[in-house]
Amino acid sequence: MTGFAEFWAGRELWREPLVAGMLASGLLSYLGVFVVLKRMVFVSAALSEISGVGVATAFFVGAVAGIDPHTHGAVPIILEPVWFSLVFACAAAALFSLRPGHRKLAAETIVGLGYIVASALVLAILNSPRIAQEAHAVGDILFGNAVTVPRAQIYALAAAGAAAVLAHVLFFKELLFVSYDPETAVVQGVRVFRYETLLNVIIAVVISVATRAVGALPVFAFTVIPAAAALMVTENIRATMPLAVIFGVVSAALGYYVSWIEQLPTGATMVVVASVFLLPGLARLARRSTI
Amino acid sequence: MDLVRLERAVIGYRTPLLPPLALSVHSGTTLGVLGPNGAGKTALLKSMLGLLPLLGGRLVFPTGRPPRVGYVPQRDRLDQSWPLSVLDVVLMGRTSLLGPLRRFGAEDRKRSREALEEIGVGELADRPLYALSGGQHQRVLIARAIAAEPELLVLDEPTSAMDPAAERVLLELVERLKRAHNLSVVLVTHQLTAVAGFATEVALVDRARGLFEVGPAREMMTPERLGRLYGREVRVAELGGQIAIVIGPPVDEARAGRPESGAREEAG
Repeated sequence: MTGFAEFWAGRELWREPLVAGMLASGLLSYLGVFVVLKRMVFVSAALSEISGVGVATAFFVGAVAGIDPHTHGAVPIILEPVWFSLVFACAAAALFSLRPGHRKLAAETIVGLGYIVASALVLAILNSPRIAQEAHAVGDILFGNAVTVPRAQIYALAAAGAAAVLAHVLFFKELLFVSYDPETAVVQGVRVFRYETLLNVIIAVVISVATRAVGALPVFAFTVIPAAAALMVTENIRATMPLAVIFGVVSAALGYYVSWIEQLPTGATMVVVASVFLLPGLARLARRSTI
Repeated sequence: MDLVRLERAVIGYRTPLLPPLALSVHSGTTLGVLGPNGAGKTALLKSMLGLLPLLGGRLVFPTGRPPRVGYVPQRDRLDQSWPLSVLDVVLMGRTSLLGPLRRFGAEDRKRSREALEEIGVGELADRPLYALSGGQHQRVLIARAIAAEPELLVLDEPTSAMDPAAERVLLELVERLKRAHNLSVVLVTHQLTAVAGFATEVALVDRARGLFEVGPAREMMTPERLGRLYGREVRVAELGGQIAIVIGPPVDEARAGRPESGAREEAG
């Protein structure tokens, strides 16, 4: 059987993960254009870690309360990791929307602090004896694996995507204005904090849900690489955004296929394939630099 | 009629930068805010626009609402690498006129193109932002401010990094726009020539000396006051209807003289 025939024969196995990967990559690539242009690429890594703290905290609180996560219906809805994850990520997104008034504490320092503290908290909680037996399950929920994706996560991704698309259809001009020139926007009466928070919360929700589905590394990569690749070869934001989405979706699909055929790690292969889309832009950059 | 009024206002980021001050922007006037680099001009401007909360005193809008403001920020604060066309940027000026949930329509595009034509850069509408020169970029930002259909046009250091001829052309353009649209103008600058001949009222600001004075331009643009502002000997002369200002060597504060009567003063 040829490589593609083998792949096709196993479609029952890859259908959900592939759909999740393409959905997550498309959404993240679109939002990534804002992330890259606003020079906040590290925000996506920080939000991913912070939503992870939410998951770990949910398990930890459950363990302290003596709840067995394996007993069906034992975990009250309020202690579901997905809610903790979303609440933590959205709170961090709102925090990142604040403009620091402290001269020595730049916005990127606050994001960096969020990342460092969140990483340490995840490590500390995961290694706590209270949830030692759940560590593997927690790790899967935290970082996903892009190989097996429950259908519920696809629905969650679709819902997050629908919300993101709706917000952008309704408020695109405001989101663009406050992202490009917040100072003028606020002078002209546009509610900058409101729209920046909306944008950051959308990014946080998508990152939080996508991390569970496809893993932390692909999420960070899809937030940065397709947008950067598209920005390097386009001169109009209306062309940049769809091109970034195409780069992201093709990277996810092709990366999944290559990983299946070559038996490579799925998330990492997706990222490598996405990186190929940087080449035309880098070549263009090199050509300009040598003139 | 005043558009904006600061009453006993204490401005600053955490600690006061200047003594409590009173300042009004009158309808149809050009207020020049003048001071050396780091004097607190931008903080004063932000306080007037409600961007920087006052540490004390009041910000009053005598018409009962904030005026519609067309704002021209310092050019180097904006990122020219965004993949935006000139028209995209000018359209941003119409965001608050249109309100949320509505997209830019044919009327917004028409008004934005008209603003570009009026500024003299209509042919640039479809050009990418990164392809503009510094002067063209400055004009595009002014077109965006005009597209907002403002009552008050605020320019923050609009002529920095410009040669004297380009500075003159830009200020004449602002003057023409003021008349054509019946605007009030606030012009923040550290360049004396930008204020002389264009401002009807002048505020002198220097936080290092705790100095804030405001009054009619001809009373403020005197060698004594400017000398006190810059700590240097200043000569002011009229040449062919234009005001020329020459900054000389440093002088003692005492030699710069006491404030003249007739001008409102809030000096610390």
